Amino acid sequence: MLFNSINYFIFLPLVFVLNYSIPGKYRWILILSSSVIFYMIGGISTIAIPIIIILTTFICGILIDKSAKAGRRKLYFLAGLFVNLGILIFFKYINFIITTTFEISGLINSFVSSKQGDSQQPLILQMLIPLGISYITFQAIGYLIELKRGNQRAEKNLGIFAAYLLFFPKLLSGPIERAHHFIPQLRGKNEFNYEMTVEGFKRILWGLFLKLVIANHLAIYTDAVFNNYEYHSGVTLLAASVFFVFQLYADFSGYTEIAIGSALILGYRLIENFNRPLTANSITDFWRRWHISLSNWLRDYIFLPISYSLVRELMKKAVKQKISEYVSYITGIIITMTICGIWHGASWNFVIFGLFFGIIMTIEFLTRKVRRKMRKSIPSLIDNIIGISFTFICFTFSMIFFRSETLKDAFHIINSIFKNDGAFFRGVPSTLLFCLFGISILLLKDFTDEYMPSRFLFFKNKRKYVRVLSYSLTIIIILLIGAFDGRQFIYFKF
Amino acid sequence: MTAGNLYILNFRELIIRKLVLNIILIISIVFVLDFAIGHILRHYYFRESRGYHYRTTYSMEKTNAEILIFGSSRANHHYISGLLEDSLKMTAYNTGREMSGIFYQTAILKSVLKRYTPKLIVLDFAGEEGKAEQYDYLSSLLPYYKTHEEIRNIIELKSQFERIKLVSEIYPFNSEIRTIIYGNLENKEPINAEDKNNKGYIALYGEVKAKIADVDNSTSLKVDTNKFNSFREFIQLAKSSGAIVIVSYSPIFQKYNRLQDLEICKGICSSENITFWDFSKDTTFINKIDLFYDIGHLNHNGAILFSNIVATKIKHEIFKKDKDAI
Repeated sequence: MLFNSINYFIFLPLVFVLNYSIPGKYRWILILSSSVIFYMIGGISTIAIPIIIILTTFICGILIDKSAKAGRRKLYFLAGLFVNLGILIFFKYINFIITTTFEISGLINSFVSSKQGDSQQPLILQMLIPLGISYITFQAIGYLIELKRGNQRAEKNLGIFAAYLLFFPKLLSGPIERAHHFIPQLRGKNEFNYEMTVEGFKRILWGLFLKLVIANHLAIYTDAVFNNYEYHSGVTLLAASVFFVFQLYADFSGYTEIAIGSALILGYRLIENFNRPLTANSITDFWRRWHISLSNWLRDYIFLPISYSLVRELMKKAVKQKISEYVSYITGIIITMTICGIWHGASWNFVIFGLFFGIIMTIEFLTRKVRRKMRKSIPSLIDNIIGISFTFICFTFSMIFFRSETLKDAFHIINSIFKNDGAFFRGVPSTLLFCLFGISILLLKDFTDEYMPSRFLFFKNKRKYVRVLSYSLTIIIILLIGAFDGRQFIYFKF
Repeated sequence: MTAGNLYILNFRELIIRKLVLNIILIISIVFVLDFAIGHILRHYYFRESRGYHYRTTYSMEKTNAEILIFGSSRANHHYISGLLEDSLKMTAYNTGREMSGIFYQTAILKSVLKRYTPKLIVLDFAGEEGKAEQYDYLSSLLPYYKTHEEIRNIIELKSQFERIKLVSEIYPFNSEIRTIIYGNLENKEPINAEDKNNKGYIALYGEVKAKIADVDNSTSLKVDTNKFNSFREFIQLAKSSGAIVIVSYSPIFQKYNRLQDLEICKGICSSENITFWDFSKDTTFINKIDLFYDIGHLNHNGAILFSNIVATKIKHEIFKKDKDAI
């Protein structure tokens, strides 16, 4: 069920009314049943997979919690990890692994024997990928890690645990919630809260605006260009790459706003996923502001464990502390960002996407002292402009790999940007106009929120008439120029 | 029940009432704004004197041309109405519109047939006639939902909630504000000179610029049977009106390999005894850079050549046969 569909806006109010009609302590039952219905509407045929994940993680969690011996805890943890990772790898990456192995073996064969390669094709498994598989497994793995570390007690109620993993507003594209943050909310009384409900409505409205008015219009242009990239000039491909940055931001943050808003009106707070990423002045800063729940997950469960264990190992071998820190940071960040890339999709262009960020963040780490010194000699405004522009250029470049179907396509587009001169593709004039309008709104919103947080308030204005008029005009603008073409949210496919 | 509980209950009722009242207030403002803006947009939409809105309105409500051309952008850029008029000594209008599929064309035909019967109807086969996922283009018919009952069932194919969406007065004009302003800019002249002279036809100037990559369109499509049904409905409606009907597959830069939908449409024409002309493999056009604007569209020179061929073919093969029959 799409968040921007009429079906969802029938479903959500129904759950909202039911939610506050039943006693607080039983509301998790409604949350669980509505989440299961939500899942089944989108993918009934794969419902068995989240059930397996829930049961395995739940049982392993209890066993970890009950075991006093470290060895046993580790064993149960590994069992849970194996099932979760196994499911994720099988459904999301198996075809990528098969084709890559096939290509490598073909390459080796062509070196070993002079025979021309035969026309055999790798076996591609045709299967449905369970909805929200990456998000569900990441939450389950995070839960198991926290239990193993002893930071959390196991949840004893299977229903509440299932409701945590399946909670419908975050089911398809996150945020990747932490159990210690969300499960206590499911156990709480969950009384009707006026402020939370109003905030929820506001965020849903803003999310719809981002998706329908900004992202979908930008998608019309970027799809027209990227789907026929062979026919477009360098300047057009460059413009489409820049537009795609804004499209992805509006699309994903629009989804997140609707998700967080939906949770709020039901009385639950999800963690924030964006913090004005367009104002980031370095790539490291960018990943603290973009898809925050994923960045934090990767930091806590991949980067820090790798870095700490490497530092420990290197120190044991009497390597100097400074060198140990450098090696562990660089190794940790390269591995983490590559995993971040692969998490987004099973293809080489996502590997390059992640690796690219790993390399940039390494450069930023290595040059941090020099840059700090330089910063002292230039005005902070200029420094910020340089930092923000650099970050934006890097992110735009990475988007070429993100948007392309294959690595070959990505390189073709990069090559065309530099070499293929020709006319700029305008498309339908209205589309370009709406694209520029959307981009201006996104930039204005991020920069005013960052640098002038108390000015230009519309939804949060002290005067009621300004607020009411702002909501009404937002709805009117959505009706007037929103693109209601039922376009999917980009992050659904991850 | 204690006084404390009663207080909590009253407080809860109060805040729920506050929430409901605020929602009602916002809905009322939206309703008023929607009504006012929607009516202004409707007024100016139907006052347009040029552009594709105007041409759709003209096709549905005003034209009484003897020859009508139907189709998508390929029809619109390939058939020069004036040239057909001069050659066949009959009035002609090109109702083709960019990115419009068979549903749009059937809707236009239904509205036309409600008013009069043309003598000759030419439907341009666009290729990929059965391709799925093109229902969003039905948005171009939304402004006519209220006033044209005959096309409502076609518009409702767009989505199951289309009738609910159409409660909004603004929605039919969604994303059309720039075009409405543009269409009203020269409203001193009742009909824009460009549109009047071209009679629906829009010329494309220039030649294929970019290097054309090999296009493999031999793979099979996900077929939408609704579209083939609509194609059949178009043919049957046109035929039963008493008009002469021709389905023509106008030239394309490269050979069209996707036989699936071509064969189905040809089969429908054959079963309905309708002439099908296939120019897609005509060597006069294939790979001729100077005759094409892009891979799917003839430029003005190409359109002149093609329209002359069509006019001659109509004169000699259709009208002559018709006369002989009489």
